Amino acid sequence: MAPFFILGLLAGGLTLAIFHPDAFGEIPSHPFGVLSLAGFLVGFGARTANGCTSGHGVCGLSRRSVRSLAATGTFILTGIATVYLVNHVLV
Amino acid sequence: MKHVSALVCGWLFALGLGMAGMTRPSKIVGFLDVAGSWDPTLLFVMAGAVGVGSLLFPWVLKRHQPVLEDRFQIPEKRAIDGRLLVGAALFGVGWGLSGYCPGPALVSLISFKVPIWTFGLGMFIGLGLGPKSD
Repeated sequence: MAPFFILGLLAGGLTLAIFHPDAFGEIPSHPFGVLSLAGFLVGFGARTANGCTSGHGVCGLSRRSVRSLAATGTFILTGIATVYLVNHVLV
Repeated sequence: MKHVSALVCGWLFALGLGMAGMTRPSKIVGFLDVAGSWDPTLLFVMAGAVGVGSLLFPWVLKRHQPVLEDRFQIPEKRAIDGRLLVGAALFGVGWGLSGYCPGPALVSLISFKVPIWTFGLGMFIGLGLGPKSD
C-alpha cells in the first residue's frame, strides 16, 4: 500500500510539474548542512510523534483526536519559534 | 485493485498539496512568521482539509470494513506522552527551517534540484533512524 501511495505522490508531482509548474517554490537558501538537518528533524520528528502535518494536522484533527491536537499545536509553536529565530534574531 | 486505489489517492493528495500552495516553502514560512509579514492563508488550507475530513471520516467509518481491506487501521492510543510532544517539537523545528513537511517534500522531489534532494535525504535518514511506530 504505502509504496503505491508514495508512487502516486511522485506521479502527482510530475503532473503538477507539467500542468502547474508555479506550484513549486524554492527551499530557503540555508547551507546544505542546515537543509539536511531540517530534513532529518522532519523525518525523525514525524516518526517519533507517529504523524506529521497530514497525519496529525489533517487526519487526526478530522477525527477529533486530542493527541493530534497536542501534536499539531506543538509543531506549529516550535515552527513559529524557529522562524522567529531565523528571520528576526539570527539575521 | 487496492494498489491502484493507493496510487490514485497519492496522486490526488499531491495535486491538492500543490494547488493549495503547500509545495511553496515561502508560504509555510510566511504562515509561521507571525512577527513578520504573516500570511494566514494556510489556515484556510487546514480548515478546508479538516472540514472535508470531518465530514468524510464519520461517513467512511460507518462501514464495517474498508472496501479493499479487512479492517480499518485507526490509531487507538490516547495518552499525550513525552514521545508525542518531543517528536512534534523536533518536527516543527525542521518544518520552520525548511518550509517542507513530508508529503510536499516528496511531491517536490520531481524538480530534481539539489537543495530539495538534500532535505529529502536527511528526511529519509530521520525516518529510518526514528523509533518504530508504537
